[in-house]
Amino acid sequence: MRLVADSGLWSTGPVAEATPLVALLEVSGAVLSWTVDDPGDTATQITFTDLSSADWLWRVLGESGHVALASALGSAPTADEPRSIELAGVDIMPGSVDPLRRLAVGHWLRRWWPASRRDGIAGLDRALLDVEIALLTVGAQGYFFDDTLDSGVVELLAPHAPALIAHVRDGDPRILDLVRAGAGLADEVGIDDVGWPELHAALDDSSMTMSMPSGRRDDYALAAGAETGPSGKVRIARGAASMSWGAVPPGIFDAGEDTVDWSIEVVGTSVVAVVRAAVIGPDPATGVEVRLRSGAIGGSGVLDADGRATLPLVDGSQEPLTEPAAWDHDWSATLVIVGSQVSGETETRETRERVRRWARARLDRPANDAFLAEIVAAESEY
Amino acid sequence: MSADSQLAMVVGVGQPRRSVIEAAWRAIGPGVEVLSSDDGGPLSRTVKRIIDPLVLRLRSNPQYSTPVVAPETAAAMHDLIVGSGPQLRSAAAWFETLKLERRRQRIRTGNAQELYFPVCFELAVTKGSPAPQDYETASAVLADVHQGRDRTAIEVLNEYVDSPEVVTRLADQLDHSWCDVQASETATATVTGPFLAELGTVLGPASGHSASAARQRVWSAVIADATPYNLGALARIEKSELPWSIVRLGLSSAEPQRQPKISGGSDSDRPLDRSVVDRVRATLRRALDRDALPDIPLLCEEEVDRASAPWGLLSEDKQATLVAGIEVAVELAPLDRSVSSRYALAAQIQARLRKEAYVLHARRYLAEGGPIHPRQRQVVDDLAAYAQPYLSRLWARLHGRDVWQDPCDDVDEVRSLLEGVARSVSLDHRQRIKAMLELQVAG
Repeated sequence: MRLVADSGLWSTGPVAEATPLVALLEVSGAVLSWTVDDPGDTATQITFTDLSSADWLWRVLGESGHVALASALGSAPTADEPRSIELAGVDIMPGSVDPLRRLAVGHWLRRWWPASRRDGIAGLDRALLDVEIALLTVGAQGYFFDDTLDSGVVELLAPHAPALIAHVRDGDPRILDLVRAGAGLADEVGIDDVGWPELHAALDDSSMTMSMPSGRRDDYALAAGAETGPSGKVRIARGAASMSWGAVPPGIFDAGEDTVDWSIEVVGTSVVAVVRAAVIGPDPATGVEVRLRSGAIGGSGVLDADGRATLPLVDGSQEPLTEPAAWDHDWSATLVIVGSQVSGETETRETRERVRRWARARLDRPANDAFLAEIVAAESEY
Repeated sequence: MSADSQLAMVVGVGQPRRSVIEAAWRAIGPGVEVLSSDDGGPLSRTVKRIIDPLVLRLRSNPQYSTPVVAPETAAAMHDLIVGSGPQLRSAAAWFETLKLERRRQRIRTGNAQELYFPVCFELAVTKGSPAPQDYETASAVLADVHQGRDRTAIEVLNEYVDSPEVVTRLADQLDHSWCDVQASETATATVTGPFLAELGTVLGPASGHSASAARQRVWSAVIADATPYNLGALARIEKSELPWSIVRLGLSSAEPQRQPKISGGSDSDRPLDRSVVDRVRATLRRALDRDALPDIPLLCEEEVDRASAPWGLLSEDKQATLVAGIEVAVELAPLDRSVSSRYALAAQIQARLRKEAYVLHARRYLAEGGPIHPRQRQVVDDLAAYAQPYLSRLWARLHGRDVWQDPCDDVDEVRSLLEGVARSVSLDHRQRIKAMLELQVAG
């Protein structure tokens, strides 16, 4: 095993890809990362944030490996010099990190799953996914001696009682097993939020309610309706842009390409950009920033719940854009940016396509370690 | 292998401490399943709440707490744990009894393991295994845990300070103690300079045994130095030459620091603004072993002196640790890549904070270096103003240690305290950023 000094911290293994391709897990004293679509199990990167807290390391490297690594870093404690240390005979034991990787993938699914109506990638049921991640977290409790960003289960379970009650009514035995296990865990860790007593009651007599009609609602919010705009408008130009996933929170927008339709229109005496981003929910797009730039012309605003915004446009001298100037302008190089202004390397269309490919493959042939939420999505014939 | 790489041929001696605990735990055999994980090892909470504090008693046996332990230490730990097998089996039986009672009473608040584990071991030691059908003990224990012993202690405090005579007496004491604290004549910036240079050694690179011994010597000198005391005293003087602003550090809402009140009178939660009664209340709330504290009147008298002391802390080692913490805190900025640190320890903490911020980014909770949703703006700004929450939490920990007279004279312990505070503030911040985005999920 080779330890490399990376930005002041010691790391093992190959560097995982950048977002959105990296799945990671924060355990006591270290961050573990993998490239999400890389099946190889040698590809685990461990970055130590506090080696003395990584009391689980022997489970992964074996006792002698743990001791060798601790003593090597003990005598070279700052990750500056030398740049790397070769540890002969120390390796990650095959299979030892599999449960951690699965948990990391679960967390990735929560945040990056590319649900898209346009691309036919079904969304994942949040409640089922969160319950399964909570149970896996408890199973991996030996890696969370100190609390980390990923050690908590209360916040994963607490909001979902109402959705889980609906699932209990559906009566799918796989789901019932999962919900039962989740409810048992909730009991133990002390969750008293809205709906939990009712969920316990529903589970107690789930055999009776199994034939009751389902009250479950589709997790997708309805997409904004067909194109309708204010009548009497004059359209000068139109186009479509793609959204950088890393610039917006998950659970709002369709993860397809070219989902941001824009048009330059004359409304009354002013020239505006009308932007409509395809939404998929369940969260509203309210408040997400949107900016348009075309040469010296620009405008900015925020989206409404359905992903729409009308942006007043200004010219290079910050004056309102006039209609003749708008007609004269070449709009072909127009940029529309939704979300936070991502500095540095932006994700590429190719990267997103790679993620979609992986997601489709997960749905087409659910892996042995697939989450129940994925299996349910695969069966939903979206 | 590249030229700048080093081949480590170190053959480590010893065993990871957690693996020692696991092996000993398995040697206990059946009867402790409820305290164990699926693979048969002890639950992390079992280690944290029972084995470390009550079986290995790390506070008095620090040799059991190093990440890797020597073979003879490992053997001693093994014997201790296996030797406690009967108590641990009884503790497991108590946990089952309490869990049944919890279910019977439909109690769904608080983490059962977290709350009941230490009590179970205490019951195992004092009463052995639970008698069959002993619902009364179980129900009394749950009442105690859930209705809270701390509430009783805080009620006693409230009653005590309800008396005007008591308050007057404490206020007189406070006036006197406050006036007793004066910076020495020579306490100017010329003295602060060498002191800060010494801190450079304390907070310097952690490598090597000789360096570590030197660091310990310097830390002992720092504690003996009057500078931390004087700096704290200067914080009360108009136009003092304090190297930092206590308002900007978040330690006080006013400059110079004002004399604290006995009770009430301030909405500020800044450490140096807190009233004597609030400080005692915090002690009572935090204390796991309240019986070991002095009674309320004595606790209040002590706290008056503490509130009057420089930095609101009585002992020199705590005052010195706070000053060291201030020097570290002003260098921390989790979202700023450009920051460079004067101290190796601060650089190390900063490297971790950056990695932790990266985790948020990789999880789509933050865009590169900024909020991913306008809703997070406030929390992200808080993350940038890192020194304030860092010092608030460090002060609270030091206050606790001051009350319990836990020393801060070991330089490595002080360094790990400074690191630990950074970790918990970062976790707290990141949980809030995460919560901001997940708010809507229930809707």
